[in-house]
Amino acid sequence: MTDLFGLGWRPAIADRIFAGADQLDVVEVIAEDWMARPAREVRALRTLAAHVPVVLHGVSLGLASSAPVDPKRLEAFARVAALAQPLFWSEHLAFVRGGGVEIGHLAAPPRCAATIEGTARNVARARAVIGSAPLLENVATLIDPPGSDRGEAQFVAEVLEAADCDLLLDLHNLHTNAVNFCFGEEEKKEREEEDFLRGIPSDRVRAVHLAGGRRVGVPGRAGVTRLLDDHLHPVPDAVFSLLERVGALVPHPLTVILERDGLYPPFEELLSELSRARASLAAGRARRQAAA
Amino acid sequence: MSPAFEAYLARIYTDEAERTLFLAAPRARAEAAGLAPAEAEALEAIDRDGLALATESFERKRASSKQRVPRR
Repeated sequence: MTDLFGLGWRPAIADRIFAGADQLDVVEVIAEDWMARPAREVRALRTLAAHVPVVLHGVSLGLASSAPVDPKRLEAFARVAALAQPLFWSEHLAFVRGGGVEIGHLAAPPRCAATIEGTARNVARARAVIGSAPLLENVATLIDPPGSDRGEAQFVAEVLEAADCDLLLDLHNLHTNAVNFCFGEEEKKEREEEDFLRGIPSDRVRAVHLAGGRRVGVPGRAGVTRLLDDHLHPVPDAVFSLLERVGALVPHPLTVILERDGLYPPFEELLSELSRARASLAAGRARRQAAA
Repeated sequence: MSPAFEAYLARIYTDEAERTLFLAAPRARAEAAGLAPAEAEALEAIDRDGLALATESFERKRASSKQRVPRR
């Protein structure tokens, strides 16, 4: 088994992914993209899966919550999983609704015992319906999650242990949170990133997400910015550096997915970013071997 | 933190009128929403810059999700 490198499937670049499938080891499919489609279109998912291995990614289950996951959403997810036959499936360490109110996106949950216990219960429910446990993904956040009583690395490690799950390590999310909560102190940012990588169980890292983002200004606060993980920009150098560090920490094979949600460059540029990812991971692995 | 805490977060993340009232008197508003004292205390220390940015981002996502599902 070797490392796999691939792209997130998006309708806007579907034709290019089909045409360039021989240059991809794997394609990540968003489950929700296929839940409400007519049967004719869903058959395209089978066609895709016949050409290239697929992994399935969820964005709306809201597993990281003290409230129970919606069983109907799990059943819908399970139907897509049965069609795609993915290598694995994943979801975010996020909540997306509360008290019947849909937030509309992934919200970082309170990093506390109740969320850890609730996530473990939700993962058990998901495992029962879908047939396997998800990889859980660390999320980016613009707001320091209210109600938290522990740091992110500790929270992630405790969730993985309690839920007995592996990690989808999103390196741009890690970078974003380090940037947003170091408040301009570069050394603190790098320490935060290193502490995170050292604080999570490396044996549970199974997959990696790469993406880019942009700075956004705080309303009414001239010059004060935070980083938004918008998936609309190239992967920054800092994220490739983190991937190299992951290569030095994790000896086993990884699935590395480049996420791009819009402002699409020529397909060759996406493939070029994947090539750089291969080189970064390989450089980290070489560092590990040299140090052994 | 309880499901009620998450529910109140979802409310202030999505409801501008409630958010305005909350920011004027966080603890009182949280307690009025039925949150426990420790939960109200946690919200009193909320990251206000982050709240402003996050709510903007959520609003944009909700608007775009009418066309497609959210993702990250």
